[in-house]
Amino acid sequence: MSKATKTKYAYNRHPATFILLLILSLAMIFPFVWMILSSFKTAADVYQYPPRWIPSVWNWKNYSRVFSMIPFLRYYWNSIYTTVVETALQIIISILAAYSLVHLRWPGQAFITALMRSTMFVPMVVTMIPMYLLCASLGLVDTYAGIILPQITTAFTTFLLMSYFASIPQDMIDAAKLDGCGPTGIMMRVVVPNTKGAIATATLFSFLGNWKSYTWPLIITSKTAYRTLPIGLKYLTQESSSEYQVMMAAAVMTILPVLIVFIFFEKQLVRSITLTGMKS
Amino acid sequence: MKLKKTLKVFLAALLVMALTGGCVSQYVNITTEEETAAPTTKAPEPGSTEAPAPSTEADIRGQKLEIWYSLSGASGVLFEELSKKFSEEYGVEVELSYSGSYADTASKVSAAMLKGLQPDVVVTGSGQLYSGGEGDFRIGELLKTTNDFDTNDIFEGMLDYCDYMGQGICALPYGISTQVMYYNKDILKAAGVDMTNPPKTWAEFYEVCGKVMESAGDNTKLKAFDTYDEAWLFKSMLMQNGCEIIKNNDGKITPIFNNEKAIEVADYWKSLVDAGYMASGKHGTAAENAFLGGTLAFVASSSNRIARWTGTTTFELGAIIMPSFGSAPSMALGGNVLVLLTQDESKVTAAWKYMTYMANVENSTTFALNTGYLPTHKSALERQEVKDAIATNEMYSVAFSQLEYTWAYTSFQEMGTMDSQIKNALQKLEKNRGTAQEVLDTAVKKLQEEIDDN
Repeated sequence: MSKATKTKYAYNRHPATFILLLILSLAMIFPFVWMILSSFKTAADVYQYPPRWIPSVWNWKNYSRVFSMIPFLRYYWNSIYTTVVETALQIIISILAAYSLVHLRWPGQAFITALMRSTMFVPMVVTMIPMYLLCASLGLVDTYAGIILPQITTAFTTFLLMSYFASIPQDMIDAAKLDGCGPTGIMMRVVVPNTKGAIATATLFSFLGNWKSYTWPLIITSKTAYRTLPIGLKYLTQESSSEYQVMMAAAVMTILPVLIVFIFFEKQLVRSITLTGMKS
Repeated sequence: MKLKKTLKVFLAALLVMALTGGCVSQYVNITTEEETAAPTTKAPEPGSTEAPAPSTEADIRGQKLEIWYSLSGASGVLFEELSKKFSEEYGVEVELSYSGSYADTASKVSAAMLKGLQPDVVVTGSGQLYSGGEGDFRIGELLKTTNDFDTNDIFEGMLDYCDYMGQGICALPYGISTQVMYYNKDILKAAGVDMTNPPKTWAEFYEVCGKVMESAGDNTKLKAFDTYDEAWLFKSMLMQNGCEIIKNNDGKITPIFNNEKAIEVADYWKSLVDAGYMASGKHGTAAENAFLGGTLAFVASSSNRIARWTGTTTFELGAIIMPSFGSAPSMALGGNVLVLLTQDESKVTAAWKYMTYMANVENSTTFALNTGYLPTHKSALERQEVKDAIATNEMYSVAFSQLEYTWAYTSFQEMGTMDSQIKNALQKLEKNRGTAQEVLDTAVKKLQEEIDDN
């Protein structure tokens, strides 16, 4: 069935739901459209009331102004590098931790789970100074490792994966054991392939969290060579609160990797929602 | 399917373009031709007031300074340019690092100081807390032993701003601002208000607000007045009405902004909200956006908005001297200072030279005229470029004429808490969650508790 036929079919069967979802979709898309249009406006257009939707003049200078105010490309590369490495390590560590906590039995497991859970209630501002002191002692100030290492373990991602790993039927695990699989084999051949959607969801959350991380990279780095995009965006916003058009131009360029990641993971993301009802 | 594929290719192409585009990025590591490593010597003990070993300009050539700064946007760009100029003139490599907002900088500097990794110089708000708070008054000694900076030429209020707990100067003024009352000339004209004779007292201002609201008619979006920083304005109003905000008895700080004079100010504040002249709890960026969007007649905001707003608004922009309760206006200072934090004694001279260069009359005036921050030197007002700016832009005239009655209260560690408590108190007052006396009593009590705990 083609997409157009599917749309027609959906509208004919549930017109009210279709229209409601269409309105909600437009509401979701609206901020993005507004951001893109604003990135081409002049300062006068941005503050016009009633709001002006289409720029009076398509002002491309906002984009070049971003590049002239901050070393945007350097920040962009640093953000991509640190985010990709952080996300990959976060997911690997979270898969191992979640599998161990859900499907293996070992002494102190309940205590470690509770301890991990408790870390979710501690705000970053409390741990920031001790973490800085630790990193400084290890010589990690102004290094990529200093940005990445303290952020590779997150209780949230682990618990997210745990909830999905727990939904794998015990029968499947037992069958794998009968076939001669050890713990690593079960994890790699049974658990991970059957929770791809969940892992994609966790990856997306991790990527987003790392991509917009501001405070820690600001504290641990001072050199331009290691600075990330959120710091650059802050530099544009702090004193230039009235220059929304420049901020929007930077935001348009900043959001591209997130959109790309989302488009590539979209199918897995939807699948993770539909698979949560899987039973033995 | 085809659309999605096309979209993927398009976005990927855009990303590649963004990463490889022919735009020139601006690095802030300002390097000189001579890059010789500066010898590292013993760090001074905390609390040292010892003057540095004498050094000449030739000695500082080739040294490297690390500077952290809170200035961003256009102010940050100009700050970087002036730093580059210093670097070229003195042959000192300057490594600049933006340190975020004042609060971010506080976290960053505090963490770094615990490990001795602080930069050589910091430019940020209330920076005197990092030096004076640690008993570091080296700047005071440098002012006495060198002739690099004439404090007699600095406005008294600004010098007070660089003092810590009355113990001495521990910072240099740079990027100081005060609040200015901006207004939308179109709205005031429509309301039939003659702004050639602007309101001088808050009572007169209240009447003008009434006229604005009367003229609004069906325009329910329009409000007469708001402020970007309610705590900052409230402190100015307290001072105007004879409330000194805090008492400093030999280093013991006692907040007093719940006395009779303070209650009068809070009651006036509440009357603006009750009459519908000021929106409840919509201060900050929301107030500025409303003003720029043409739905607010007056906004009290930092003088550094002058450079950014001039020529960019869709209405005719004006400014008046801040109204007052007393016979003479009084305006609280805010903004940045330059602080010497280097732990490497061999860098003190280079750092001091950098600080005095940035804060000298010529450079601080250039910075002021391009950013809307205030000139720090009295002699700046005699300079032709300042006279020209005043003649061509009435807002500079207003901001600069407020200089003579600017003031700073004693700097103390819990200044940030005081502002938070004042904001909380005003929010409660605006939402009818207590009388003026009750909300200010609570604010003073909480602040006093924190002062005592520390």
